Amino acid sequence: MKLDTTGLESSAPVWGSPSELVDGFSAAPFFELPVTTDFDGFQKEAIQMVKPAKGTTTLAFIFKEGVMVAADSRASMGGYISSQSVKKIIEINPYMLGTMAGGAADCQFWHRNLGIKCRLHELANKRRISVTGASKLLANILYSYRGMGLSVGTMIAGWDETGPGLYYVDSEGGRLKGMRFSVGSGSPYAYGVLDNGYRYDMSVEEAAELARRAIYHATFRDGASGGVASVYYVGPNGWKKLSGDDVGELHYKYYPVMLSTVEQEMVEVAGA
Amino acid sequence: MQIFEYNGSALVAMVGKNCFAIASDRRLGVQLQTIATDFQRISKIHDRLFLGLSGLATDAQTLYQRLVFRHKLYQLREERDMKPETFANLVSAILYEKRFGPYFCQPVIAGLGDEDKPFICTMDSIGAKELAKDFVVAGTASESLYGACESMFKDDMEPEELFETISQALLSSVDRDCLSGWGGHVYLVTPTEVKERILKGRMD
Repeated sequence: MKLDTTGLESSAPVWGSPSELVDGFSAAPFFELPVTTDFDGFQKEAIQMVKPAKGTTTLAFIFKEGVMVAADSRASMGGYISSQSVKKIIEINPYMLGTMAGGAADCQFWHRNLGIKCRLHELANKRRISVTGASKLLANILYSYRGMGLSVGTMIAGWDETGPGLYYVDSEGGRLKGMRFSVGSGSPYAYGVLDNGYRYDMSVEEAAELARRAIYHATFRDGASGGVASVYYVGPNGWKKLSGDDVGELHYKYYPVMLSTVEQEMVEVAGA
Repeated sequence: MQIFEYNGSALVAMVGKNCFAIASDRRLGVQLQTIATDFQRISKIHDRLFLGLSGLATDAQTLYQRLVFRHKLYQLREERDMKPETFANLVSAILYEKRFGPYFCQPVIAGLGDEDKPFICTMDSIGAKELAKDFVVAGTASESLYGACESMFKDDMEPEELFETISQALLSSVDRDCLSGWGGHVYLVTPTEVKERILKGRMD
């Protein structure tokens, strides 16, 4: 049984004879489906298997100078921390970033696929794809796989002709345009700090510090977030990584240990 | 999530030369959310006997209160403190009483017995005692703790070296567990003194 791949067909015009260069990419990837008697049951099981609670914290917001994107770096399998150094901010192309929340494999594969489609668009139309267009491409792909168990909660952030752009796209097929987003199990904590400290006219340093603090607070409260808080800035000249601070050290920077005088008790030691 | 992983915990006890150390993490959580970072998991029964309780926090608190009550009764009747071996038997019996509706806790008992000989043991939630000569572990980070202790432990360590070893074992293990950590609490007990120290750990 072959999956319906009409949603994956590239919008690149098919003028001229198909060349080897374009062929390998414009042919939509298709995935063979298993031959089972109970496909619905299989789907349900597949979803349950891959459905982690999106244990992560990512956030992005638009401000006067551009877009700020930040994420933690912890990967967890249930209670076990499998890695503290995962790259959750994916560089789609030099002026667009995507964040990773949910299944790592899903996010990495489909972001790279999106990068390929964006590049093809550039070559075919002789101009860069807009953030709106890129997010729509990804959302349509994810929608066609709805119900199959993909787990993707991503934000596409970039700078195009119309200025800064930020979209939230998820594997349920949702796509939202907005000014502030946070995705993952640590997002409630990040929203608390982000919403409180946000102003449209901040400088790049202030916005970076806000993003860093929001990620730090999420890693403090959420068990599934931690590691390194990475902060990226997307401006008119593309994205730039601003910092990658270990949250263990950030804690003691924000809340240094105060040595207090301890009342020492003199207790009778029995049987010394 | 499992009931034992609802609150998250990490406990370890190690034996040294005429001394012992017992250490725990400081996090109290509700599944993934961290509620407190100063939760006391180790309690003193008497100057030479400490009890750590991992697992469900409410059961740990109730069980601790019951055990303190029983020990106080013992003190009144016998006019002396309980030996660690006796206390371990008491805990085991109390846990087995609830065989078909257990307390969701794993206790770690550490004490100095006769002639200042250190005694450590752990139990499962229905009272099966596990005596060990070197170290015992409990909690959500127990698998990591086993690995860390196995590689770091040496026989007959002096108190200061024992403190360093148990601290490193605890901190490196909880750094691989989402549900425990946020600092550490170590009690180092010798025949003459009890040293309580708070460890600076990763707060994520």
